[in-house]
Amino acid sequence: MIQIHNLAKQYGQRSVLKGVNANFRPGTTTLLSGNNGSGKTTLLKLIAGLAKPTSGLIEIDEHQGEPARISYVAHQTFLYPSLTAFENLAFWSKCYDLPDDGNQIYDILEEFNLLPFADTCTRSFSRGMSQRLNLARAFMLNPSILLLDEPFTGLDSPSQELLRQKLLDVREKGTCSILITHDIFHDASLADAVLRIEGGSLSDVSTETLQGSHPNLIDQFNPKSSTPCGGSV
Amino acid sequence: MWRICLAIIQKDCTILLLRGSSVLHAILLGLLLIFTFSFSLSPGDTLSCQTSATIFWISSLFCLILLFNQLFAVEETNGQRFALSMLPSPPFLLWLAKTATGLGLLLISQLVFLPACIVFLGHAPSPNTFLITLANITITDLGICSLGSLLGALAQGQASKESLLSILLFPLLTPLLLAGISIHSQCMEGLQENISQWFTLATAFDCIFLASTSYFFSFIYSDDE
Repeated sequence: MIQIHNLAKQYGQRSVLKGVNANFRPGTTTLLSGNNGSGKTTLLKLIAGLAKPTSGLIEIDEHQGEPARISYVAHQTFLYPSLTAFENLAFWSKCYDLPDDGNQIYDILEEFNLLPFADTCTRSFSRGMSQRLNLARAFMLNPSILLLDEPFTGLDSPSQELLRQKLLDVREKGTCSILITHDIFHDASLADAVLRIEGGSLSDVSTETLQGSHPNLIDQFNPKSSTPCGGSV
Repeated sequence: MWRICLAIIQKDCTILLLRGSSVLHAILLGLLLIFTFSFSLSPGDTLSCQTSATIFWISSLFCLILLFNQLFAVEETNGQRFALSMLPSPPFLLWLAKTATGLGLLLISQLVFLPACIVFLGHAPSPNTFLITLANITITDLGICSLGSLLGALAQGQASKESLLSILLFPLLTPLLLAGISIHSQCMEGLQENISQWFTLATAFDCIFLASTSYFFSFIYSDDE
């Protein structure tokens, strides 16, 4: 479980997040929306430990007796252009001490339709292929917390569908997913809740656990009626 | 934990040695320096052993700067630095991996510089000082690589920071380089009694650089903006 207490972040004089409070439970998917520059990516970076809060606290519980494993899919792909798709995944697999079995890497490459390109250097990959490999890396790590910053960018329709299915699968396994999206109506079927960042505060757009009830979620998406105190998912 | 370190070393060696020309460029720069200095000699003249040793270490230092710039630049192309920061390991391991890789690549480069110095500058270490030469190169390299790793990390991110590497590196390395040059010079012209003092100085600076750079690395290689 992720518990965020009174979180604030400033870049110089600019205050990006102001007193954000939220809880994210295992086995839930939360959509995070907001205008450009509203602080969505900053919030993910803070949860990932890539940035330090100006004030406030983020508590991340252990997962099955071990420290939570966080996978972060950012705008950047984290891929080494000089390495092949297989070598990229093998590197991250070793870094996370995953079982040293090449078959597992080939399996995940096949799942993301990248097996024919396993031995191709990623510098020749298109934006969509790089994003698929980035997602393959993120899912390969079996994360307990999955942070996705606009993960559908650059993906074709089958890949988008595959990602949706993978998100539903990991939710069943107890992964806590937080997904930044600008298309909350389209992605609503994935979500247990939708949060919106506006003016540095987190608004709980859907306080009820929706369990993928798409029409209800759309009905509830009304920033004017949202509570300014943050959310609990 | 050590598996992460080995994975980073293996990845860096693959990228720099097998898939890129960075090491070749660094070696060529060093060779060019040695070759250019050889032009300062009139036909039949030879440089002093001290000058020859200085040219060897200056070439090594320029090579080091290119190597460490490249070692950290590979983590910037697609934001890999962020993913490395999220690894379940202390930043010390990344410093260790980069230092070890840089040390290995510098030693490979010096395997080329050493015969080049003999051919172009006309001085060779005596056969009976082979072990001392090896020990000198290893001890001096250890110190300059640990500092190179820290300053390589510092130089990444913003173009304005890149110039800091060479500006900061040379003054900090002066004592270690003096020791390296003096021992190297003595290996060519004959050992003197004060060689043990130079080794003590080099070892002391190694300890200072290894301890301080491994500690400060995590502060330098922070992702926070």
